[in-house]
Amino acid sequence: MRRSFIVFSLAIVSSSAMRLVAQQREQPPEGAPPKPFHSPARTTFTAGSGLPVTLAQFGLIPKVTIELVVRGGEITEPKGKDGLGTLMGELMKEGTSSLTAEQIAQKAALLGGSLSVDTDSDEIIVRGDALSESAARMIELLADLALHPKFPESELQRLKKDQLRNIAIAKTQPKVIAAQAFRKVVYGDNGYGRVIPDEAALGSITLDEIKAYYARHFIPSNAHLYVTGLFSPDLRSAIETAFSGWPKGDNPPVPEIKAQTKHTLELVDRPGAPQSTLAIGTPVVGPESGDYIPLEVTNSLLGGSFMSRITSNIREQKGYTYSPRSALETNAENAVWVEHADVTTKFTGESLKEIFGEMNGLRREGPPQKELKGIQNGISGVFILRNSSRQGIINILKMIDLHHLPPDYIDSYLPKMFAVTPSQVQAISEKYLDPAKMTVVVVGDKAQVESQIAPYKPGTN
Amino acid sequence: MEPILLRLAPVVLGILCAFPPVRAASLNFPVEYYKLPNGLRVTLSEDHTTPVVTVAVYYKIGFRVEPKDKTGFAHLFEHMMFQGSKNLGKMEFIRLVQSNGGILNGSTRFDFTNYFETLPSNKLETALWAEADRMRGLDINQDNLKNQQGVVGNEVKVNVLNQPYGGFPWLDVPQVANSNYYNAHNFYGDLKDIEAATLTDVQDFFKTYYAPNNASLVVVGDFTPSDAKSWVEKYFSNVPAHDQPPAADLTEPPQQKEKRVVHQDKLAQRPALAFAYHMPDKGTPEYYAMGLLDQLLLQGDDSLLRQELVKKRALTGSVSGGINLLGDMFNYNGPMLWTGFLFHDSNTTGDAIMQAVDTVINSVRENGVAEDQLGRARVKLRSGFLDTVSTGFGRADLLSAFALFDDRPQKINELDQKFADITPELMKKTAIEYLKPSNRTVLEIEPAAPAAQKGMN
Repeated sequence: MRRSFIVFSLAIVSSSAMRLVAQQREQPPEGAPPKPFHSPARTTFTAGSGLPVTLAQFGLIPKVTIELVVRGGEITEPKGKDGLGTLMGELMKEGTSSLTAEQIAQKAALLGGSLSVDTDSDEIIVRGDALSESAARMIELLADLALHPKFPESELQRLKKDQLRNIAIAKTQPKVIAAQAFRKVVYGDNGYGRVIPDEAALGSITLDEIKAYYARHFIPSNAHLYVTGLFSPDLRSAIETAFSGWPKGDNPPVPEIKAQTKHTLELVDRPGAPQSTLAIGTPVVGPESGDYIPLEVTNSLLGGSFMSRITSNIREQKGYTYSPRSALETNAENAVWVEHADVTTKFTGESLKEIFGEMNGLRREGPPQKELKGIQNGISGVFILRNSSRQGIINILKMIDLHHLPPDYIDSYLPKMFAVTPSQVQAISEKYLDPAKMTVVVVGDKAQVESQIAPYKPGTN
Repeated sequence: MEPILLRLAPVVLGILCAFPPVRAASLNFPVEYYKLPNGLRVTLSEDHTTPVVTVAVYYKIGFRVEPKDKTGFAHLFEHMMFQGSKNLGKMEFIRLVQSNGGILNGSTRFDFTNYFETLPSNKLETALWAEADRMRGLDINQDNLKNQQGVVGNEVKVNVLNQPYGGFPWLDVPQVANSNYYNAHNFYGDLKDIEAATLTDVQDFFKTYYAPNNASLVVVGDFTPSDAKSWVEKYFSNVPAHDQPPAADLTEPPQQKEKRVVHQDKLAQRPALAFAYHMPDKGTPEYYAMGLLDQLLLQGDDSLLRQELVKKRALTGSVSGGINLLGDMFNYNGPMLWTGFLFHDSNTTGDAIMQAVDTVINSVRENGVAEDQLGRARVKLRSGFLDTVSTGFGRADLLSAFALFDDRPQKINELDQKFADITPELMKKTAIEYLKPSNRTVLEIEPAAPAAQKGMN
């Protein structure tokens, strides 16, 4: 896959804030009233011995995206076996009972697409992308990979070496260093609490452990197949056929790890760094909660959009940073609100001051209605665009299923989002976003930064 | 193959079902193209799939030709385009788009600077008004400039100075592979040059290059042509043209022998390597052949370089790259490189890697390309093209490049044929002529992170 090195002006995109008083200026034309948004229609059924399937026709570009999402992921990796999911995924691509790795790659290419296996905190995703005319054959290929992996031992050492190299490289990236330190505090020593695997743990993984992990998780009732794009209704029977031989089993248990609220300030030394990389955050509630949509709106207003309080302040007023952004980072069990920013080293203390200042501002007083409406319009725009691509649609469907959200989630989202009021934003900020409870990580030049951040050490304020 | 018009969605589905596996018909995008009297190129391409519209304004000035003593200036200027115009104050352009449910951005590339937004289709007029406002003139002050100098300085730090492999390969490789200053300078900018830029520099740059006769406006999506045309006329037709300076000489003298360069990276723990070949001139048959060679050699798990370096020789975990790392093979207009790059371990030498690369490339130069390989390359290219055009922005980008550089946005519908015309013989000939060691640069990154640095434990 080709990496993108294009750097954009704004780094982040979302919604808007106060309208300033116009002075003898031409006003922009209002435009026409909005057209309605409709989410694509979905078909759901169960294939074979219990595999849930969701199909969504979308768009006019003759391609399909297919994801087999298996519940598992890093959170289910046994203790001391970090990276088991990723290693298993890589080894799956090394052949099936009837195809070599090269044949798999060539077949996928000929279908106009690619095949990948990715592991995240809660899921293992076998993903295929293909031309519409080849959708049925991609279903077959994907099912072959998922159901009949060969797991050739001969490739294991090479794959481990590749993962260890990736780990060594990741450990030198300030954002990874910050995220790792942050997650460790909030989640502790488990799959949610690490950004990258421990090298010794990954090195210790055996072929038997990989096979056992696979057998435990790759069970039809423990998975869900999604297809979006343009495809013939015949695809349903191709799916039924491809997955019919998948033996049933019991879903494996999944640990329930809850995030911890801990008020800490940690400085990770990065001598000579021209910037400090900040991660500031705290556990909040997840998508199942009635507070979540108000939280999303609050997040966007506080730091999640370009016109947000924090970004307007530390980027557009003060120039301390290029890419500040806050987000709600979720997994199956948790959501954590986190502000990320890389700030000029000599303004590290000032940046913390401004970030906490903006947070306290919202805790004291809700936003003006106009500012809030601008933010909400921005969220609406982004939401509609997210529902306008194959991958975007699959991502939302996956989220609905992972968090057991009601089936009308997509169609009811915008009205609920627009219903959030300024006083709710204030109430949410008071309830969830308290500087006195935040976990703070600063990756920066200790010699220059330590004294700047001293006032923010827990116990001093 | 009959082209299928995008408007006929239910019919398209019917046609795809009716035939057993056959090659999909070519897409045919509606493209209407004209110029205003002031020279502004206008391209309209309807698509009523979703109620959104994308507006893209591309100016034919990128960082290649930025003022010689002001590295990074074109990019800094791009930031200033968001800082205020006659009827929009600082940040108000952004606020206007986002508060109307849109997303937006801008970027600076080798040969253009673009500004684009995707909004609900009922806000097209608003977006056109705003783009015309800033095409007409900026209204900025020293504070705005100082602020964006801080922002851009931080951008360079977060992407380059504070990252291992920060400028590798996209910023580093053109600087070592090229010798003409325009193609070989630090286009992200030295911090001191960014700091030294003045308001006068900004105004001069605008006056010189930001003119309708040096620009393209593209509208893609859910709109009515007659409305769009009348708004374009209303808002853009009174922006005055100004003469452009003579085109700079971008010629790269032909490279006579292989270049091998080693850089130290104080933040890296593992070595890396990039190899880059000078591309054939844009638009030639060899140029299109390189598009297919890129797919064959470097794109996808089945690509020959990946199979050899990753699977067979275990030298690396992946090989990446392509034509124009800051875009694609269509949206540039000057000398360009085809680049591959990878990360490896210290016990693997650059020589071992290049020996593997040579094995693969020489097999193409000696034996040519087999039919099945060419078939896969074609399918991959087509699939990638479909992904590009599946977003309003992706389509607008191609249309803009073809309008700006070729005066012909309809090219978007002619690409299929250009690639279909490429023969295995032409691919072999192109590989022989261009994928030779004397036409390439190899850049090695040596990790020089202090042994004591632990990252995090």
